[in-house]
Amino acid sequence: MIPQEFNYSRPGTVQEAVDLLADGEAKVLAGGMSLIPLMKLRLSAPEHVVDLGRIPDLSQIRENGGSLHLGALLTHHQVATSALVQEKCPLIAETAAHIGDAQVRNMGTLGGSAAHADPAADYPAALCALDAKVRLVRKDSERVVDIGDFFVDALTTAVEPDEIITELILPVEEAGTGVSYQKLRQPASGFAIVGVAARVRREGGRIAMARVGVTGLAASAYRATGVEALLEGSEGSQADVAKASAAVDDGIEAISDLHASSDYRRHVARVYTARAIQAAL
Amino acid sequence: MRISGSRLLALDQEQAYQALQDPSVLERCMPGCRSLVQVGEDTYAMKMKMALASISGLFDGKVRIADRNFPHSFRLLVEGSGRIGFLKGEGLLQLTAESGGTSIGYEGEVRVGGTISAVGQRLLDTTSKMMIKRFFDKLAETLTSPQK
Repeated sequence: MIPQEFNYSRPGTVQEAVDLLADGEAKVLAGGMSLIPLMKLRLSAPEHVVDLGRIPDLSQIRENGGSLHLGALLTHHQVATSALVQEKCPLIAETAAHIGDAQVRNMGTLGGSAAHADPAADYPAALCALDAKVRLVRKDSERVVDIGDFFVDALTTAVEPDEIITELILPVEEAGTGVSYQKLRQPASGFAIVGVAARVRREGGRIAMARVGVTGLAASAYRATGVEALLEGSEGSQADVAKASAAVDDGIEAISDLHASSDYRRHVARVYTARAIQAAL
Repeated sequence: MRISGSRLLALDQEQAYQALQDPSVLERCMPGCRSLVQVGEDTYAMKMKMALASISGLFDGKVRIADRNFPHSFRLLVEGSGRIGFLKGEGLLQLTAESGGTSIGYEGEVRVGGTISAVGQRLLDTTSKMMIKRFFDKLAETLTSPQK
């Protein structure tokens, strides 16, 4: 179908973009993998679209101290294949490689996926496990939001209509940390029915650090702190992992749709949490 | 799609029952509700704008209250349609006094059709739960803050 008529702006800099967004009425277009289909179906009919696609500053990868700064406009393919990202933050690269199909990975962007906050998107699991920070810029100010405050609910984030995400800030992985992203893939769409991202570091025979991010199970991605607490300090034996993984859905209201019931999702989440932790160990 | 759940409000049962049927309260608390106007006995016309991330649409609808059994239960019938789809729902609300307030139990069936359901099937359950949560959050905020 053909979208409803709209005004189109293509700023060349972040400043131009946030000036255009200042009235809070325009819609931001990044890779267009979610917005364009919605517009073509006329489920979304913005009057003004601001295309960030030609702002080169937003596609940079930069290491700064202990952090890796990833520009919001990096495509999933760029994140998955960057040698620097693979070395410094392998979890985000591995996760990017699991998203959708080749076409989506070549067009879809890191910031776009985060801003859309689909409950079944892959990136949010990794971003939660990484305790990522999100830089948001508006006309006269900017702020950095912790990922825990960023995902508010299904399709809902802390991004205000006059803000854009400029970059995601991820920790450079310490030596000895193992990571893994495991997902049950919905075969038609490539979305995760459940996806689990894990980071684990052992010191002296015990698990010193564990981070687990889960997507697909709840209305928005979350950190499974119950699992982390059970893992940290344990030896990481198979029994320890099984016991910890069983806590992944504690206190969580599991979603249900035509692909998977909530009970099935809970079960899959426990199994995939154990797999992700085992693979990371 | 079946919807059920319950929510505790810090109000006594009669207050809660009246609030849930007060059009001015509902107008303020229903997510996206632009106006709610009485058009007949127990029947209201509603205009709402549903906005969820990039998806947005205007709906025209009707709300009807039936089977009143003060202050225990009533039935709520809602229907609406707009360019992006239609919805039709029916639910039974049951109020029970509990320590610390009134528990409002709801149980019903919602049908959604049109473009929104054809392509948004995967998100319907999640978003309807979210809408219900927003409604009760707003209701709790409106009713339990002073001067309201």
